[in-house]
Amino acid sequence: MAERAQPRHAQDKLAFLLALVPYLMDHDRVSVDDAAAHFGVPAEQIREAVRLIGVSGIPGETAMYQHGDLFDIAWDDFEDNDQIVLTNLVAIDDSPRFSAREAAALIAGLQYLSALPENADRAAIASLSSKLSRGASAEPSQVAVEARESDATLALIRDSVERGVQIEFDYRNSAGVGDLRRVDPLRVESVDADWYLRGWCHLREAVRTFRLDRISHPTITTERITHGATDVTLPDSLFEGSADDLIVTIDVASAAAPLLADYIPDGVSSLEVDGRTRTTVRVSHYHGLKRLIASMPGVATVVAPPEARAVVADWASAGAARYSEQ
Amino acid sequence: MPPANIAPRIPVEERLFSLVLALLATDAGLTKNEILSTVQGYRQKFAHSGDNANLERQFERDKDDIRELGVPLETIESPGQSGNNQNLRYRIPRGAYELPSDIVFSPEETTLLNLAAMVWREGSLSGESRRAILKLRSLGVTTTEPVLGYAPRVRVRDAGFEPLSTALEKHVIVTFAYLKPGERESRLREVAPLALIQHQGRWHLYASEQETGTTKTFLLRRIVSQVTLTTTSFPPPSSDQGATALAELDAVWNSHTALVEVVPGSDAATRLEKRRGTVTAGSGALELHYSDINIFADELASYGPEALVVSPPQLRSAVRDRLLKTAADHG
Repeated sequence: MAERAQPRHAQDKLAFLLALVPYLMDHDRVSVDDAAAHFGVPAEQIREAVRLIGVSGIPGETAMYQHGDLFDIAWDDFEDNDQIVLTNLVAIDDSPRFSAREAAALIAGLQYLSALPENADRAAIASLSSKLSRGASAEPSQVAVEARESDATLALIRDSVERGVQIEFDYRNSAGVGDLRRVDPLRVESVDADWYLRGWCHLREAVRTFRLDRISHPTITTERITHGATDVTLPDSLFEGSADDLIVTIDVASAAAPLLADYIPDGVSSLEVDGRTRTTVRVSHYHGLKRLIASMPGVATVVAPPEARAVVADWASAGAARYSEQ
Repeated sequence: MPPANIAPRIPVEERLFSLVLALLATDAGLTKNEILSTVQGYRQKFAHSGDNANLERQFERDKDDIRELGVPLETIESPGQSGNNQNLRYRIPRGAYELPSDIVFSPEETTLLNLAAMVWREGSLSGESRRAILKLRSLGVTTTEPVLGYAPRVRVRDAGFEPLSTALEKHVIVTFAYLKPGERESRLREVAPLALIQHQGRWHLYASEQETGTTKTFLLRRIVSQVTLTTTSFPPPSSDQGATALAELDAVWNSHTALVEVVPGSDAATRLEKRRGTVTAGSGALELHYSDINIFADELASYGPEALVVSPPQLRSAVRDRLLKTAADHG
């Protein structure tokens, strides 16, 4: 649809203007910096929006956009002091409603977050969801996410952060090796049904990512944390590659290729032939790889190196052999 | 400072903003002609005697863009002029536009809603959740800093999600090719979408099948063609479709149980024990629930020798066949 040249951009700017006006109306005087901080946008974006609001309005009786038909601001205060004061208001009285999809996204997001200790109060969540429905301009679309029960490990992690102490637990990594870990929790992350703790690991003396379902016997210690969330910059991606990573070539059914996206390093070129994609993935050891490949039977095949193929073959054969035992 | 009439280049956002303001300010509504000849951004291009076809098309696109933001832009017929398109009037009724004044959010609620929006930071609902947060901020409520930082994320990798969510909103019938497990060929389905549900980390479509008149649940990852929106609409269903669909998926989940032996202390033991609803049977084996035998077999196969399916037999052979296949492919 080439005709739809209107940049999405403009739609977002409109949404911003419609949100900013009621905020400014509620504040008799607000600095550009405060408004920028509140909306989490650059100060220049606020200034640009205010300049536009200051000259906008309705055609009015004369259809000529007379002075009284326009918003007005205290221009001197704005230009000289970076202060925003609306001096004439038009047409808008209040914040806009949510769209059906916006409300649906928030409601489904709340459902998804039901595992958080902060969300233990289900009645409060239900009332919040119903407020969102009532605050939408149309019936929210039906998007639902399975709710999880409140997670006891998450509650312990939160508790340890509140007290500023380390948390201790048994952790078995995908290589099958178990260790007792002491961790300063930094952040809890999730991807769909999988939840992770990112923290400073005192055993490894580095930031590590732990799958919540691999954590056993968590307890709160009395040891103070040495690394707080504000001291450590966490990389965006959950799993950082390291120089020791092994590079493996894989053939995967193209339709299933997105399932491997987390393992494919940036900048890797993939070659597609007959609905199958040949690509390279990066793994820290073959233990994770054998599990991944075994979960995609007939869909993904390791091509090289031979050691990796052998590890996968042995893993699958050992599994199959158990079905021949009596 | 009034805009100078000489400036012909009006930014798009100014035109859209002016249109919203003009339509909010009118009770009776404005005709298309009134809008095009008087509203900022249109009037500069309006030909008083001549063809305004381009401008009219622009107005049509602008209406769509504005409605997409949840702005209830209404079309009403002029009294006594029904059927006359030129006399349709447009307006944005204030009551339907503004957030009702009794809807307020506490700082704690605002914090939770910010997290709920963060869930969608990737994929097709990211724009919606960003705008929802903008509207929340418009209310001026400040947030509380959570004790523990969270970065929750729900991914939408299935290509079908975007067109299906549009179809859900517009209540139109869709068609797609669906490959049922165990069948060699996909089959074309024609359904009325009722809800999109994520269950056990996978996206499902709950829909009413036109051919049979029954509701069914489809796994998005088994949709093997593009999802096509038809022009046939259907009456909006009741608002509890998502809950119904989730309950049905839960019922299926509960009704399927498998008995699986796990090697003590293994990754399989640690993780499968933590799966929702898992019970340790007297023998030490785990009693596990699942929704889809093929998907669960994939999951169990990943544990290799750490997990051995005792029952049901179909799952047992499904896992064994998978392991044999993987071994053969890598032999």
